[in-house]
Amino acid sequence: MKTKVANKKCKSIRYRLYKAVSKRIGLNADWVQNHIVGCSRCRQRLASVGRVNLALSLIKSQPHNLALLMRANTQAVGVLKHSLRNAPRAQKLKVMLPEPKLRERCQKYKHSLANVAACIAILLLMKVGVFSSMDRFQRQGRKVVKQYYASRVGEEMANEIFSA
Amino acid sequence: MISRANSCGLIWDFATADSLSGTGAWVLSAMQRYGPELVTMLWRILGNEQDVCDAYQDTFLKLAHFEGGQKPEHVKAYIFRSAANVAISMLRHKIIERKNLSEAVTDNSIRSPAIELDSKYLQESLRGGIAQLPEHLRSVVTLHDLAELSYAQVGKILGITAATARVYRCKAIQLLTVLMNKKE
Repeated sequence: MKTKVANKKCKSIRYRLYKAVSKRIGLNADWVQNHIVGCSRCRQRLASVGRVNLALSLIKSQPHNLALLMRANTQAVGVLKHSLRNAPRAQKLKVMLPEPKLRERCQKYKHSLANVAACIAILLLMKVGVFSSMDRFQRQGRKVVKQYYASRVGEEMANEIFSA
Repeated sequence: MISRANSCGLIWDFATADSLSGTGAWVLSAMQRYGPELVTMLWRILGNEQDVCDAYQDTFLKLAHFEGGQKPEHVKAYIFRSAANVAISMLRHKIIERKNLSEAVTDNSIRSPAIELDSKYLQESLRGGIAQLPEHLRSVVTLHDLAELSYAQVGKILGITAATARVYRCKAIQLLTVLMNKKE
């Protein structure tokens, strides 16, 4: 238990440290940008890293044919042993199409979910606020009435009435 | 309702097939489970449909014949690593063939800025760079950047920590910048 807590603390400290450091020495920091403007070697390095990242995103952005999975499955199933080749699942694999992941499918509902969550949070806060205000109002009113009774009929009588 | 019934049917199929582990039906369930991700990764490494199908076939053939038809302990790790290895060796062969051909046809030593920014050229030079990376760095790049697995998953597959995977990826990018800038 203790180690778990310590690990959590350590993780949050590391995260904060990373955030603080990246704020100061990240590529978008002013002093880094100023240096890059004047230093040809750093400019070249940055351009090279940019090229690699650009190439990676280009590769990722090239979609493959939808039927490629079907084709690959058909070819792979074709070299498996006879019992597997003729299994009903093998037939299903031969016509299988790629489906988006659950995370990607939920992506379009992200904003609506965030709005609903925000509304629920506001309602909860309002409810908590209203109830606590009512409670405070009730306590204050009781105090005032008790004071009124104390001044009119005496402290003991007032205590007796309000303790009941 | 029908689709739900269908998916239930698929789950049932999985359950019955996995219970018959001796028949090797787990190969099919692995194909169904990891197939789409694997095809995406192979497509990104190879960029050619026929090569993807060949590498995919080789991977599952290896899996089916692993230690005389035994199921590996970590199927996902086995599939992804062997697929990446098969794809990289195919890529290397292709690069060598292309080099020989281009040497025979023209001299490509001068590169214009327009060519350097050409998307196809960039993709090919990145693929060439990845093929030249040392194995430990290459595995991290292929699994993290091309198969889009998280660092934790990459670490699990390669038997390293997520932090090590992150460091390897950083080193791989540095090396790739050098390899891509090198004149061929």
